[in-house]
Amino acid sequence: MIRVRSYSIRQKLTSMNMLVSGAALLLACAAFAVYELTYFRTTLVQSLSIQAQIVGANSASALLFNDPDSARNTLSALKAAPNISSAGIYTPAGQPFAIYARDPDNQVSYLSIPIVSPEAWKFVGNELILVRVIEFQGKRVGIVQIHSDLSEIRAGLERYAGIVAVVLAVSLLAAFLFSSIFQKTTAQPIAQLAETARVVSREKKYSVRAPVPETRDEIGDLIEAFNEMLAQIQARDTALQTARDELELRVERRTAQVEAVNKELESFTYSVAHDLRAPLRHIQGFSDALIEECARQLDETAKGYLNRIVDSTRRMDQLISDLLGLAHVGRQELHLQPVSLHRLARDVIRDMEHEIQGRNIEWRIGDLPVLDCDPGLMKQVLYNLLSNAVKYTRPRDPAVVEVGQTATEGHRVIFVRDNGVGFNMKYVHKLFGVFERLHRREDFEGTGVGLATVQRIIHKHGGRIWAEAEVDRGATFYFTLGSHENS
Amino acid sequence: MIRSRSHVTLVMALAISGPLVCRLTAQTPQPTEYEVQAAYLSNFGRFVEWPAGTAKDPFYVCVLGQDPFGSLLDTALKGEFIAGAPMAAKRIAGPGEAASCRIIYVNPSKDTQIRNVLAGLRNTAALTVSDSADFIRLGGMVQFVLNGNRVRFEINLAAAQRAGLTLSSELLKVAAAVRRAP
Repeated sequence: MIRVRSYSIRQKLTSMNMLVSGAALLLACAAFAVYELTYFRTTLVQSLSIQAQIVGANSASALLFNDPDSARNTLSALKAAPNISSAGIYTPAGQPFAIYARDPDNQVSYLSIPIVSPEAWKFVGNELILVRVIEFQGKRVGIVQIHSDLSEIRAGLERYAGIVAVVLAVSLLAAFLFSSIFQKTTAQPIAQLAETARVVSREKKYSVRAPVPETRDEIGDLIEAFNEMLAQIQARDTALQTARDELELRVERRTAQVEAVNKELESFTYSVAHDLRAPLRHIQGFSDALIEECARQLDETAKGYLNRIVDSTRRMDQLISDLLGLAHVGRQELHLQPVSLHRLARDVIRDMEHEIQGRNIEWRIGDLPVLDCDPGLMKQVLYNLLSNAVKYTRPRDPAVVEVGQTATEGHRVIFVRDNGVGFNMKYVHKLFGVFERLHRREDFEGTGVGLATVQRIIHKHGGRIWAEAEVDRGATFYFTLGSHENS
Repeated sequence: MIRSRSHVTLVMALAISGPLVCRLTAQTPQPTEYEVQAAYLSNFGRFVEWPAGTAKDPFYVCVLGQDPFGSLLDTALKGEFIAGAPMAAKRIAGPGEAASCRIIYVNPSKDTQIRNVLAGLRNTAALTVSDSADFIRLGGMVQFVLNGNRVRFEINLAAAQRAGLTLSSELLKVAAAVRRAP
């Protein structure tokens, strides 16, 4: 059963046709055989009965006038019937009167079966025996018995069986051929459809089409619908591909534009900052000259103004150099190499010696890793973060600044923590903006460029920076170096 | 098997067979010549096409002259019918009494008497039978002859035709001889 299920439609159709036609033919042949057999026997009995009647009619006078010669004469006419092996005429008492035998050795001279008027017959072995009462003008004058050899009829039946077998074989062959022909219109299109579906699902190739048969039937409709579906999928696929290509192109163009604009902006910033420096130097230079050379001619008020001018120019110079630094970070190529953060932090603290003079600061430098990064830029990061920490812990005694590493979500995170004035988390989004300040300049000096520069450097390294703080409880800055991080 | 059954069949066939044919064919005892002749006389009528008429009368088989059969003929005819007419035996003295006879068995004492009898029966549509020698030659229709120890008969077809009787070919077939020319 399982084997039949796994057959292809083609095989199923063929076996179905063969089974149906074979069964029909076999039944028909069996019916014919049964019919032929009964017909043969009936016909045989009839013809034998007629022969017996003829013999009887022609031997009545011989019986009545005791002339066995005449009866033998009559019987000898049976030579014409090759199937009759022997025959006999008997008196009503059953005494043999005249006997005929085709083969004298096979002579039968007694009645083989009981007489039932007017006749009785019996198939015995290879013989049909028929016994008939001879009546003449209503008078029973004798009995005739005929033996018929069935071997010829048997041979005929065997011949018939042979013909049936040949017909069966030829018909099955014809059925096979016809079913093969008809398969072209049913099984073949289905097989091709299945093959096409296989190709589509295996190779995701929607450009193939199942061949549409010429006949207009359900299979043809099915295949057409399938092809139609493929066409729709193909069209959708093409549209999707086009849209994606277009999108990619657009993104590329937009990125290029953004990059160009960025570059432009950076060079603009750089040149502006650079160009602003020249007049500032003049102001600075002349202000210094005024203080040095004309101090005696100036009164205290003028001197005060002049000092303010000098302070402002100094701050502006700081601002410009910070901006230049920021722009420089943007333009600079990264030179990655393994850098010991621990050593770098120590270097930065030593460089800040001047700034921390007179301060009581407790440094807590934890176990810091060696990371792949640009040493110059990373130094800027640590410098900015540590100097911020030093700056905003000014009111604390002692100030505590901690540098360490921790881990979140499997990433290594470096942090700088202080116990300074902190800030309100409400403004945390402004923290890394250029010129954004969360404290008054009167309280804490600064240009508002430092954290922006830090953020840019971290981003450039593919990392992330964020901060947590509470007012008067200190602040913590965290950063990762993203994909450049060395584990 | 077949053999034993055939014995049963034989016994059954014997039991239902008629007494006349039994005598005709019985092996023992051998029927007498007159017994056979009487049986033949009861059968001749079946092979003759009789002229129409006289349907209700009995079918008479007459014995003209001295009766050699005794009761044999009466026994042979008893219960026999031809075309619905019962058969019966009748003894007649001469042709003058032969009007109702269908078959006349002639038992004359001399040849001259045969000639006279046949002349007297010329206008009677009856089958003439005799066991006299020369009966056919003298114009009789059926003459019994002895062939070995078997009773046979010869037929004078011309004489029968002259009397308007048509004899069946079946009868001619079993005749020892048939004389066709007059």
